[in-house]
Amino acid sequence: MDIGEKDKYELGKRDEHNNINYQAPVLSTDWQFGGANLTSAGMSLVPTTNPLAIGSSCASASLVDSFGSSLWEHPSNSQNMGFCDISVQNGASSSNAMEIGKGLPNSLRTSIDRPFDMGWNAASAMLKGGIFLPNTTGILAQTLSQLPADSAFIERAARFSSFNGGNFCDMVNSFGVPEPMGLYARGVGLMQGPDDIFAVNGMKSVSVMESQKSKLDATEATRDAGLRVENRAKTSPLENERKSESLMQPNEEVKQGTGGSGNESDEAEISSRDGGQDELSTLDGTGGEPSAKGLSSKKRKKSIQDAEIDRAKGGQTSTKTAKDSPENQQKQSMMINKTTGKQGSPASRPPKEEYIHVRARRGQATNSHSLAERVRREKISERMKFLQDLVPGCSKVTGKAVMLDEIINYVQSLQRQVEFLSMKLATVNPRLDFSIEALLAKDIIQSRAGPSSTLGFSPDLSMGYPPLHPSQPGLVQAPLPVIGNSSDVIHRALSSQLTSMTGGLKEPNQHSNAWEDELHNVVQMNYGTSAPSDSLDVNGPRPSSNRKVEL
Amino acid sequence: MVTILISRMRSPFSLKQEFLKKWILGLQRCRSSKKNMSIFERKKVIKLSADVAVASARKGITCWSRALIADAVKEGNADKHLAEKILGPASERQPTEKVPVGAMAYNKRIRSKKIPKRGSVIRRTIKCAPQAARPSSIVKRLVGKRRQILRSLIPGGEFMNGVSLIEETLDYIISLRAQVDVMRSLASASKLVNLN
Repeated sequence: MDIGEKDKYELGKRDEHNNINYQAPVLSTDWQFGGANLTSAGMSLVPTTNPLAIGSSCASASLVDSFGSSLWEHPSNSQNMGFCDISVQNGASSSNAMEIGKGLPNSLRTSIDRPFDMGWNAASAMLKGGIFLPNTTGILAQTLSQLPADSAFIERAARFSSFNGGNFCDMVNSFGVPEPMGLYARGVGLMQGPDDIFAVNGMKSVSVMESQKSKLDATEATRDAGLRVENRAKTSPLENERKSESLMQPNEEVKQGTGGSGNESDEAEISSRDGGQDELSTLDGTGGEPSAKGLSSKKRKKSIQDAEIDRAKGGQTSTKTAKDSPENQQKQSMMINKTTGKQGSPASRPPKEEYIHVRARRGQATNSHSLAERVRREKISERMKFLQDLVPGCSKVTGKAVMLDEIINYVQSLQRQVEFLSMKLATVNPRLDFSIEALLAKDIIQSRAGPSSTLGFSPDLSMGYPPLHPSQPGLVQAPLPVIGNSSDVIHRALSSQLTSMTGGLKEPNQHSNAWEDELHNVVQMNYGTSAPSDSLDVNGPRPSSNRKVEL
Repeated sequence: MVTILISRMRSPFSLKQEFLKKWILGLQRCRSSKKNMSIFERKKVIKLSADVAVASARKGITCWSRALIADAVKEGNADKHLAEKILGPASERQPTEKVPVGAMAYNKRIRSKKIPKRGSVIRRTIKCAPQAARPSSIVKRLVGKRRQILRSLIPGGEFMNGVSLIEETLDYIISLRAQVDVMRSLASASKLVNLN
């Protein structure tokens, strides 16, 4: 039943719902367990907990608790309200527990799922009925900031953040199952100054965990190292020793895992022109040594002092290509923000250029062109991972061409939907007045913004109503208890009622009267509470006698 | 750029609210122009105001939003007056802050960039024809073709290279999705109100 619904929603997701319902391949039981525990108020539907979930590791459980609580408190997802109601009503089964955890951010979930998967394959098989929503990376970012900071983990977090592709895989494999999860989560939490860093981490981890061509990613990532160096070499041949020396120290530090000066991650800098130094040869010479350790694909970040020195040196660097500079600036500003915490503001993208020191991988071609290409490719693949989370149905797809196909289809369908909806709106309104509808739409948008609380409401309301109105058939909300007298609550209650009673049908005709009466009440309340900027039009004089008295 | 994307994904609700507000304002500005509009005119007005609202909600940070607005008000456009009316008096138009210098220049060079790009792509594909047997080149060609299609879909996409193209796509998808959600909710609300 759940699988059927899933399929149906996957098929119809593009055209009809445009809700981002796509199922995640794996769900960790811990998420559901923790989330269910924390929202015990409204979660009467949560059935018997999975015994496997109970046996989860303590580290993950603590993390889950922090995640779950904040996830439930910050529902910023705007979709899925109806569907979750349906799924909730469909009966208590263990699979429903998964759907409750719908608010999980996709990237983190997928990244953490792998370590869990290794340990709890049986549980993961049960969890395949989960529905997830994207667009919650922000929530996760907020939650992660609550994680405790630990100096030892700062360095590991730094290393995680600076690692690309294959290295993360290596580290995961070497550390074992439960540790990477905890390390990663804590590390990510530590990097939580600005959110973009988490995005970078998320993207990297996602790319790591999900890419089935991890090797290719690894190679690309290592090529980046050499590429940046090559960029500098290509653009301006200058002295090496100074830079290499300064670079050596952070490199060693990071490699040895000490890095305790608080300059956590390396600074990757790109010199697009003068001011760059040709470290290629020296770094390669030194690179042989670290790469021998198998950690060769790092973009080293300089220490803050070095960065400042470089900035002073760099001066006005005319952009090599106008295209590259914005990205480079942004990328470096991201990384620089990571090290310095906050250099001013998001507008701290330094107008001057920063440098990305990149090391060439051992055994890789150090041709400047190929290295530049590799860096570019790495960036592109990073962004593609992000797109994978965004576009529904793209998570199972690998390969640039197919993913681009999906993206193109999705954009086309969205554009077509805009056309269709604008035509529909044109037919609905003889004149272009949208005042009341706009207010209602705002309410609807608001109510959609709180799907989790809706979920909490729906079981209570649905269970409460039949005993209240046993005699009246169908859906009558006459003595609808107004909780807090807020319109969005009413909306949510109504929508949950509708979906529960009708099994997910959208606004059947028989319920429309009661629905509209409630809407009119809402409209009256809205006009009473807030002073609308628009003027009331002809639709204004709704009979106030329609108003049903609420207690 | 990615920071913007992350922050946007975090708060789709605020984005929708802003879009709705701007859209209604733009529609109000257009409303007084004509008494009886045909349905197609209405649709055009609605769509145009919606697009402009979504684009202006970005406040000029992204390339596609700037390109969309620039296209709407460029000289050759038939609905230029409409777009200008929607955007409001020039004093109200949002200044484009935080724009990397290079990207700004791109918007000006609309015509000049187009032709060389296409030519170069064609030249590249012709050159690669004899080597089509290699899988990497095939993949590259496929990906390149799709990139071209994507560029044509996204407003102002012709000026973006690989990485920025994907970032712009990301942002564009988010905005489109918010736009569709708001429009759909408005349509359903209008239907409900009109049913009575």
